[in-house]
Amino acid sequence: MIKVNHLSKTLDDQKVLTDISFQVSEGEILIILGPSGVGKTVLLKHLIGLLQPDQGSIVINGKDITKFSQQQQLAMRKDFGYLFQEGALYDFMNVFENVAFPLREHTNFNASKIRQRVQEVLDMVDLHQVESKMPLELSGGMKKRVGLARAIVLSAKILLCDEPTSGLDPIRSHDISDLIRQVVKKIGATTVITSHDVINAFRIADRVAILHEGRMEVMGTVQEVSSCQDAFVKEFLQLSKV
Amino acid sequence: MNVVIVKNLMARLNAMGEAVLFLGDVLKVIFSGRVRFSQVLMQMYYQGVQSVVIVILASMASGVVLGLQGSATLQRFGAREFIAPLVALSLLRELGPVFTAFIYSGKSGAGITAELGTMNTHEQIQATRALGVDPIEFLVVPRFLACVLVLPVLVIIAELVGMLGGYIVGITQAQLPSAIYIRQTMQSIHYVDFFSGLIKSVFFSVIVAWICCYQGFFTSGGALGVGRFTTRAVAYSYIAVLLSNVVLTMFILTVWG
Ligand SMILES: Nc1ncnc2c1ncn2[C@@H]1O[C@H](COP(=O)(O)OP(=O)(O)OP(=O)(O)O)[C@@H](O)[C@H]1O
Ligand SMILES: [Mg+2]
Repeated sequence: MIKVNHLSKTLDDQKVLTDISFQVSEGEILIILGPSGVGKTVLLKHLIGLLQPDQGSIVINGKDITKFSQQQQLAMRKDFGYLFQEGALYDFMNVFENVAFPLREHTNFNASKIRQRVQEVLDMVDLHQVESKMPLELSGGMKKRVGLARAIVLSAKILLCDEPTSGLDPIRSHDISDLIRQVVKKIGATTVITSHDVINAFRIADRVAILHEGRMEVMGTVQEVSSCQDAFVKEFLQLSKV
Repeated sequence: MNVVIVKNLMARLNAMGEAVLFLGDVLKVIFSGRVRFSQVLMQMYYQGVQSVVIVILASMASGVVLGLQGSATLQRFGAREFIAPLVALSLLRELGPVFTAFIYSGKSGAGITAELGTMNTHEQIQATRALGVDPIEFLVVPRFLACVLVLPVLVIIAELVGMLGGYIVGITQAQLPSAIYIRQTMQSIHYVDFFSGLIKSVFFSVIVAWICCYQGFFTSGGALGVGRFTTRAVAYSYIAVLLSNVVLTMFILTVWG
């Protein structure tokens, strides 16, 4: 379970997040929507300790991770999967090695087991015959899917995805969204996803939140959020739907 | 005006403190044994290959030039046969370590900074942390150790090649008999000459590794930043090598003579 209490963060004299509080229960999918530049990535990076809040706490499974030492944070992250917005693949490793990396680091799988598992997750994200390609030879959407494969390869207990469908075509966005829901429900991962993609978010989320000017404008089930009367939320949802 | 200067100074001091902490982190990983040997070997190969050709060329050229200048000037004093010690001692005590450190920081050192800097701007260093792996251990220590191990070896290669250059000039241009040239060389080299050069080169290798890894690890500002931090890494390496060479030379001369 993830519990964020009164989190605030200022970057370069700019107040990015203001007094954010929310909870995600075990096995739940929360999707955070919001316009570009609102602080979705900044918020997500806090949840894995890549950024430290100025104020507030982040309690994961009963422990406040903002109080962790560097070593404790590294150890904790073995249970996390994180998809970076731009993929953040190692560009000196091919696709196979990128996806195999968490397995080599955190399991004692032998070579054939690693090969099998990597193949499995690459199949899941619908990538074939790319194992030996380098990340620079992939399209943006392919990089994203490799990033997703790397994030789920260890069957994370907590999965954080930064815009998994941006830059993908509508059909892939649909399929990847379904895949994420299917995978996290199977492994029971607590999941936080950021997105602009309202249509898919509403399809797969257990709950949805909308960020606006550094605050959580609204948070609730799809019905609750759809019926929200706030002017910004109404406009954001209306303009996002076809 | 004064406020700006003070602010600037504070920023400098801050950066130096950060650099010292960074070195501390690197050494902690090394001495706690978290060294990835296959990565170190790969980096050693990579960095060595990058620099070895230009080191050989440069040291051959300096050996030849030393020989030529030596034979021209020493002839005036009727001391032509001292070319051999002149070449050997200049190379071992000063030119080998300093020149090789320069070349190395301009090639392999710049490479280290540019690589780490690019990884940083593409969030690969953050991604390493997110994957539960210490980026100092995985990305920095192999490059750091490779630099510390390869640079002294290249210095020795440079010294040997340089002496060969001097020898070629000595027996052709100055027409010294080969056997005499070699004997003169052997007799003139004392342990202190070789080891003082070696100590210098180990020292320089740590400095270059430290500066180049640090600048790369903390690169910011995208592609432009990579360029800026890389040139800065090379410039700082040059300055640090030059200054520390003065101090080391004074130190070595006082203790050892
Ligand atoms: N490292 C940083 N230093 C300074 N400011 C930053 C930094 N990272 C983000 N910001 C600022 O924080 C704000 C939120 O950025 P963030 O990347 O979280 O937006 P986002 O909601 O993820 O946008 P997008 O949907 O475009 O990815 C932006 O105004 C940005 O300028
Ligand atoms: Mg973002």
